[in-house]
Amino acid sequence: MTSAPSVIDLSVWQLGLALLLVGVVVLVSLRQGLGLERDLLVGSVRTIVQLYLVGLILAAVFSAARWYLVVLVVAVMTAIATQAAVSRLTKPIPGGHQIAALALTVSTAVTLAYVIGVVVRVRPWYEPQYVIPIAGMILGNAMTSASLAGDRLQGDLRSRAPEVETMLALGFSGREAVQPLVRAALRAAMIPTVNGMMTVGVVQLPGMMTGQILAGSSPLVAIGYQIVVMFMLAAGTAMASLLFVRLAAGRYLTAAHQLRRYLL
Amino acid sequence: MSGPIFAVEHLTLAYPGNRGRPAVPVLTDVSLEVARGGALTLVGPSGSGKSTLLRCLNRLEEPTAGTVRFDGRDVRSLDPRELRRQAALVMQTPVLFEGTVRDNLCLRPAGTPGDFSEARLKEGLIEVGLEPDFLDRDAATLSGGEKQRVTIARALLRDPQALLLDEPTSALDPPNAALVVETISRARGARRLSIVAVTHQPELVRRLGGSLVFLVRGRVEAYERLDGDAPAIGDARLQAFLAGESPHAVSGQP
Repeated sequence: MTSAPSVIDLSVWQLGLALLLVGVVVLVSLRQGLGLERDLLVGSVRTIVQLYLVGLILAAVFSAARWYLVVLVVAVMTAIATQAAVSRLTKPIPGGHQIAALALTVSTAVTLAYVIGVVVRVRPWYEPQYVIPIAGMILGNAMTSASLAGDRLQGDLRSRAPEVETMLALGFSGREAVQPLVRAALRAAMIPTVNGMMTVGVVQLPGMMTGQILAGSSPLVAIGYQIVVMFMLAAGTAMASLLFVRLAAGRYLTAAHQLRRYLL
Repeated sequence: MSGPIFAVEHLTLAYPGNRGRPAVPVLTDVSLEVARGGALTLVGPSGSGKSTLLRCLNRLEEPTAGTVRFDGRDVRSLDPRELRRQAALVMQTPVLFEGTVRDNLCLRPAGTPGDFSEARLKEGLIEVGLEPDFLDRDAATLSGGEKQRVTIARALLRDPQALLLDEPTSALDPPNAALVVETISRARGARRLSIVAVTHQPELVRRLGGSLVFLVRGRVEAYERLDGDAPAIGDARLQAFLAGESPHAVSGQP
């Protein structure tokens, strides 16, 4: 996956030309009174600064190639993904941070270990060029699915509380009573991933594949990786949303099989 | 056996406040008893904690202090699932799940004892005034009153000792409400059921008899015994409340 000689290194001037594209959007915003100019400017500056900083850090980590630096970077990514997953929930889930951290850490670690160690067989295992982008993809998708699942569970607990309590009143356990809601939340979280598997490559070329092709890989090599990525994302999102929803549902139940309605 | 079926002693319940705000009191120092085979009606303005109190009896809610005894035993020492089978709850809005009436009547955790044979299910429907051929009806197609009677049949099929009714008639029109009142009275007579009901339905209060507790802001404002066919309700505030006057004026608050 090293850059082929045909790759065009972008100069500052070329990036400036790309910025003109944002200028077009600013014009549209001004003309249509969208009021998005400020956000667009801030967003553009953040895009430049954040990506450059990340680029500098990654360049340093890549050249140092120490396992603990790679682990540190993945840990920081996990912490940020946790924060983002929790902040997307409409209403905070009690103990949501710990639950999200656990769900994202476990799902990412397991999926990453399998892909790096068993499927791709990267040597050494901490090769940052593989580990960091792959971890990033798993985390990004796990984060989205966990918060989708959590949001759905919360909404359903509010609107379907009488159903849950009817089950409890009939003598079902807390876990049994929320099972239909857990199932609905998991389905909601998994559907984007499953739909993605249905249309991948037909509607649009996934980012990773595009990047590899631009970097000079043959499309067939890129496709091989993309297939691994699709399956890996399916596993990662399933695990993350399952863990998150199960643990979150537990927060709304007590050992005496009660629904803690005041939390809803 | 002679002790009360339910004994509530100094029950207090407050929900934890959000983000460091003070706790929200719902019930304060409530004590009451329900005789075995007897009835108790909870009345009071909305938000007075009637439903919460009812739900403490089958431990769907957890009191902050005080005890609830069922059949002489602290409910905290019982398996909540077994307690809920013995003290069956019927809610204001009947919840029936996808499937037929039969599916709903048979809905139970694995290992629940009891007779769920075809004959028994039919008897169960007849007991609540529904035709036996309702068994194969899609639950979603029933009217509100029919649904409520199915939930009562579902509760009775488990052979409970007590029936907890949370405004069982208030979502129904008067003819259906009357049918439900009739159903409850009949089932009680046939089975020596103990009944605790939250209701504003004067007919149900009269038919149940027993005791009447008037809750205002989570406290017992009046505790009356209604024995005989025409209960003599002594408490003036309670009389005024049942007559439909504003509870706030009644309790002397602005």
